[in-house]
Amino acid sequence: MTNATQTRWRRFFRGRDSAEKQFLAGTISPLVFYMAFWTVFPLLWGIALAFFNYSPRQTGGFLGFGEGNEFVGLQNFQNMFNFSPEAPLEVQQFHIGIRVTLLFAALIVPLNLLITLPLAFLIESINDKVKGIFRTIFFLPVLAPSVGVAIMWGFIFHPQRGLLNAVLGEFAGKLIGIAWLRDSSLTVWGIPVALFAIVVAYLWQDMGYNLIIFIAALQGIPQGIKDAARIDGANWLQMFARIVVPLLMPTILLAAVLTMISAFQVFDIVQVMTDGGPDDQTQVLLLNIYSYAFRYQKMGWAAAVSIVMFLLVFSISLVQTRLLRTEWEY
Amino acid sequence: MTASPVSRKPLTFRINLAYFILVPASLIALLPFAWMILSSFKTLKEIRQIPPTFVPQEFTLDNYIKVLDDPDLPLGIFYRNSAIIAFANVIQVLFTSSLFGYIFAKFEFKGKRVLFWFILSLMMIPHQMTMIPGYLILARLGLINNLLGLIIPAAVDAFGIFLFRQFAQSIPNELLDAARVDGAGEFYIYRRIVLPQLGPALATFGMLTFMFNWNAYLWPLIVLTEKNVRTLPIILTWFSNQQVDKTNLTMAASVLVILPVLFVFLLVQKWIVEGITFSGLKG
Repeated sequence: MTNATQTRWRRFFRGRDSAEKQFLAGTISPLVFYMAFWTVFPLLWGIALAFFNYSPRQTGGFLGFGEGNEFVGLQNFQNMFNFSPEAPLEVQQFHIGIRVTLLFAALIVPLNLLITLPLAFLIESINDKVKGIFRTIFFLPVLAPSVGVAIMWGFIFHPQRGLLNAVLGEFAGKLIGIAWLRDSSLTVWGIPVALFAIVVAYLWQDMGYNLIIFIAALQGIPQGIKDAARIDGANWLQMFARIVVPLLMPTILLAAVLTMISAFQVFDIVQVMTDGGPDDQTQVLLLNIYSYAFRYQKMGWAAAVSIVMFLLVFSISLVQTRLLRTEWEY
Repeated sequence: MTASPVSRKPLTFRINLAYFILVPASLIALLPFAWMILSSFKTLKEIRQIPPTFVPQEFTLDNYIKVLDDPDLPLGIFYRNSAIIAFANVIQVLFTSSLFGYIFAKFEFKGKRVLFWFILSLMMIPHQMTMIPGYLILARLGLINNLLGLIIPAAVDAFGIFLFRQFAQSIPNELLDAARVDGAGEFYIYRRIVLPQLGPALATFGMLTFMFNWNAYLWPLIVLTEKNVRTLPIILTWFSNQQVDKTNLTMAASVLVILPVLFVFLLVQKWIVEGITFSGLKG
């Protein structure tokens, strides 16, 4: 039924109008008030905080602004561009945070896609009965709390008691005591080993999402295309490179964007496994915001960093909506 | 991919190759769980052994007895805290999402477009944007270290409203109008006609919401700083920091925190998987 007919019906039952109005007023107005208080107000407050030297330890006037929490204008943002070695500690930490977060996302996104897409293709290509078992196994870590995942992997990377060093020692024939998470001198291609360790734990937990998204997308490929390729004698590698990858491009792009957004916001695993160490090598942006807001109580500064982080995530989200809007056809 | 006559031969080849990769890969994927579970049955002496063993030489349940008897770690309370928050949030989020999803799908009112556009744009704002002011508001309301501090601000989920609007659009208007002709009240229609139609969506989104709440870490970490109001993920990290040297105890506690609910999630996996595939949602 179209909207026009719907309106005609409503007009026909004139008495209903007031009941409907009451229903809408009774539901929409609480929603508006609730959102005004719990979303709009905190958003505006959060933006305002960034323009003050705000700390809950100091006293101030309305909402804690003014007096001890003095107005500093754009200074927090200007400080972010201070790249001199004498820059305040929080600014240097912010630069580290940006660098580590971008590096982390740059590692996670390609690695994730390179593992999950072929894995989904392999799972889709086997017998229906066992398909579910494999999917469940790879999806299982998604369901576990990331804190538990971090504790498990922290123990695997333990220098003396960890599984990794034990396995490596078995191959090397001697004791191996690499402090994967603690030794800041360990780097590969200039990337800290501790960050790689976190990438491994994060990938292990995060893979399941893209895996099931890709499996669903693979099931959506029209059977006719698959059959046609087979009749033409395509082997599995050609099938993957010529059919799966091009047809799944929109899904791959979307998965890449979603993976990037969540990688930018990594916190749990890092906080539990390394807490930003060694020597700030894994100090991701959200950990940085958390530390400055709730450990050092420099909430004004942390709010300014949050805005930068928001802009980072938001720009990626815009790409995402662009992708979602694009019409793709086989 | 179903077997068609033309492809029988290459298909068998592909299947063998697939298992050749999938079986070892899945064993590697399960290894961390195995390592955690096996370590939880080791004695303190064995866990300190260098190099470590994989399968416990001496199998013991002592770690579990110690963890469950530890007066500093009343797991029951933390399970209760986590359950209160997760269940309360699932119920209220399902209620608001289905109700407002239905309203945005089926009603016309002034300002609807603006309000819906606003809700859509909220989906793009990461949670950490409101983390600091959210904490300050809770502090002023005296809700820090109160489970309500994790429930009251979580009543409306922008994404949930968006999702349920999609589902509610497929409910036939004839059904709703027929009920109206019969004199049903609007809320009655929502409760008796719309909600049952949204059943699968409620199950799917409810499971996802439960899982996210149950596993949540950062926000509870900020709001719940006193020990007795903490949730399971926070208490697990606290305990592992307390027992730095007794990894066998940490692993037993981890098993007790992770496995029971992991098992439940596994049983309802179908809905969680459906929810993620439908929405492309990420934690």
